[in-house]
Amino acid sequence: MRRHRMVRATIVIVVVAAAILSIGAAFGRQSGPPRQVAERAASGPAASADPIVRAQERLRLVPRDWRTWAGLAVAYLERGRTTADPGYYPKAHEAVRRSLALRPDGNADALVARGALANARHDFAAARRDALAAIRLNAYGADAYAVLADAETQLGRPTEATAAVQRLLDLRPGLSAYARGSYDLEQRGALAAATGLMRRALDAAMSPADIAFCRGQLGDLEWLAGDLSGAAEQYAAGLGADPRAVSLLRGRARVAAASGLLDAAIANYADVTRRSPTVGYLLEYARVLRAAGRTGGAAGQLALANDAQRLFVANGGVDGLTAAELAIEAGRPSDAVTAARAEWARRRHADVADTLGWALHLAGRDAEALRYARLAGARGALSATYAYHLGMIELSLGQRRAARANLDRALGRNPAFSPIDAPIARKALAGLGGAR
Amino acid sequence: MRRRLLVVLGVAVLGVLAAPAHPAHAHPLGNFSINQYHGFTIRPDAVTATVVVDRAEIPTRQRRTIGCVEVAAALDATVDRVRLRWTIEAEDLTFHPGAAELPISRLSCTLRAVTRPLGTGAVRPFVVANGYAAGQVGWHEMTAVGDGVRLVDSPLPTRSVSDELRAYPADPLASPLDVRDASLRFTIGGSTDAAAGRAVGTNGRAAPAGGAIGRLVTSADRRLADLAGAGRLTPTVGLLAVLLAFALGAGHAALPGHGKTALAAYAAARGGRRREAVALLATVTVTHTGGVLAVGALFSTTAAFAGERLLAWLGIVSGAVVVAVGAGMLAAVRRGRPHTHRHGHSHVHVHDHRPGGRLGLFGIGMAGGLVPSPSALVVLLGAVGLGRTAFGVLLVVAYGVGMAATLTAAGFALVGIQRWAARRAAHWRADGVRRVLRRLPSAGTATASLVMVVGAGLALRAVAALS
Repeated sequence: MRRHRMVRATIVIVVVAAAILSIGAAFGRQSGPPRQVAERAASGPAASADPIVRAQERLRLVPRDWRTWAGLAVAYLERGRTTADPGYYPKAHEAVRRSLALRPDGNADALVARGALANARHDFAAARRDALAAIRLNAYGADAYAVLADAETQLGRPTEATAAVQRLLDLRPGLSAYARGSYDLEQRGALAAATGLMRRALDAAMSPADIAFCRGQLGDLEWLAGDLSGAAEQYAAGLGADPRAVSLLRGRARVAAASGLLDAAIANYADVTRRSPTVGYLLEYARVLRAAGRTGGAAGQLALANDAQRLFVANGGVDGLTAAELAIEAGRPSDAVTAARAEWARRRHADVADTLGWALHLAGRDAEALRYARLAGARGALSATYAYHLGMIELSLGQRRAARANLDRALGRNPAFSPIDAPIARKALAGLGGAR
Repeated sequence: MRRRLLVVLGVAVLGVLAAPAHPAHAHPLGNFSINQYHGFTIRPDAVTATVVVDRAEIPTRQRRTIGCVEVAAALDATVDRVRLRWTIEAEDLTFHPGAAELPISRLSCTLRAVTRPLGTGAVRPFVVANGYAAGQVGWHEMTAVGDGVRLVDSPLPTRSVSDELRAYPADPLASPLDVRDASLRFTIGGSTDAAAGRAVGTNGRAAPAGGAIGRLVTSADRRLADLAGAGRLTPTVGLLAVLLAFALGAGHAALPGHGKTALAAYAAARGGRRREAVALLATVTVTHTGGVLAVGALFSTTAAFAGERLLAWLGIVSGAVVVAVGAGMLAAVRRGRPHTHRHGHSHVHVHDHRPGGRLGLFGIGMAGGLVPSPSALVVLLGAVGLGRTAFGVLLVVAYGVGMAATLTAAGFALVGIQRWAARRAAHWRADGVRRVLRRLPSAGTATASLVMVVGAGLALRAVAALS
């Protein structure tokens, strides 16, 4: 009796339960974005390794997470850097904007990201402002000091730059800090120490893009020291890690040109400018073509460089240094002086001083030129080009002793510093009674 | 020679050789970019490819004229491991004004390759790799549709998100596409409905379709996330958010999963006492809250975290626990069988050696709360992201209480029904029915088996989500 009742009861329970559950099932599994997001997260092994994908996933899940918006902006900037694809910058800009819209006050992360973006866009004054504002909010945020260090360096404030780098090294010794420390030392002419620190950065580098970056920097340091084969080795090693690293391909092209392998250099530069047709690379390509006697090709690349610069300006870009170099190359020294002066008013970097001095020299204003050419080397940077420019300016001012010393220094630092200028330096030095 | 500017940082990374500045863009993807779209239409006897190459100002300036020949030569495709030989059916190169009075260009090509006719029942692989302008930056997009064939496991969408490179999505959550190769299979029959957009998910699974309740829950989810992230947290807003979290938890538990069947059957078998109801409620709430907090902590701390995998593993554990409880019940029933009670009472009378025990109660409650609900996770992460961790935890607790209330209520509602049915059964006199019933296994065995089956089902569903 009892048992039958139990049986019947159980059947009723089963039927009712099944009914309830099938009603539930008919209305579907829990739907909505979170689950889809989670599925996307699990959809591939690459998905979780990519910081951009990770940040995007989290933001689909938590759209108001202002910290991750800032993180996404930085990830986009990183990707823009490693791929040399400026198409990521507007994405970074939008991500920063959203982070700040969600949290306008006390958002140090977004300020750091905005500062990094400003640096990438060469608006160093804005980058400095953002970095300082971020530091006021959080004095222990290493990334803010990284942005600050870059901005101060480019603005030509070496003391402040060194202080920022030192703080970064204290807060978070690692790839980011070592690389900046190395550049700071290099600016002061301490090439051996700069190389040592960059080697430590290389040891800390994990991703192919980072390894390629460090190798590229080491190659550039070898180049500055005039060691072409050492530089070539570093570039080759870097390209082994990341065959698409444009800055290394450019380094290789430059070494080929300096070694007199002009055909190889031209082929390499054609590849570099196809991948990344920036004004700077196009100018170098034009110079190598000119050195090889291909004036027609050089004029074509120069025209292309001009258009690239026009686009840059049309897009709201401000870069007087490149404009000045372009004007010098095109034989318009007074335009070069105007552009370089404007840039000098914005930032007092050694490169700007050097270009302004050279533009003034070409415009026939040597007395003024001498001042800037001296300023360029005053902070200790060991650039063959700076020394060459200073020597030539001194030569045209009739300061033969000083000219001889500086031309000798230029060729001593790097006998092949430029396919066009190095032979001129050698000839001028011979005329002064020196020999190299 | 001058060093390039050392600029920009990375979160974990470093100083940088900055690419030249690009404050804004005439071309949305940058003045350097060469952007490519490949749309494949697969037919039983041919493949056609619509190729668009959208070149920004500088590449157009570098090389004004390009042709479909080089585009086709760089498009390496095979059907059934036989390389396709493209013929150019249409070609069109147009120029449009870009920035700084420089033109941009758009090349459109229609390529076609004949394949061996496809027989019924055969499944063929289609593999494609695009090597055109591989070294240059730009958008790389591919789509695939079937015309007279059904695509079996296409990883490609059926519709272009950029309208064939006419409108690039500005959404910062969408990375520039970089799809340069694909591999899929197709078979005879059916066609892709291009209007349906992206038909299949990543693993060929259909995206979860939201029914009426699903949509309701989703919109309530969004409300709660908004409340939790409200600019100012007033007491009213806070109270409202807690109530909504409770309601959402209750609603969430009403959806399938969570071992409700097991819980109900279990509660029924145990006769349903008030103390046990409270214990169940507490167990579900504590487990769910703990689970959400733990997963939330994982989410916040480790970036490399595949959410769905963890949820699936928790689902497996949850299912396994239910199976174990069911097995325990079964063992208890078997042990208890020799002295089956045949009292003269007309109501169900359950004795102390009921199947399960305290451990089982805990297990079943844990299984119900173990898998964190994604929406509670969203609310928690949202609150944490806004620096309102405590409030987020409170909402998760409210959510768990809501869930537990539904689960427990469902269980004890069934007990009520069981009692009612049992009372009615005492009056049933139809011998035929009774004879049929006699042949069925005993109630204890049936309940225990049901619990085990449900547990296995939960675990299997989770396993399916993993693979």
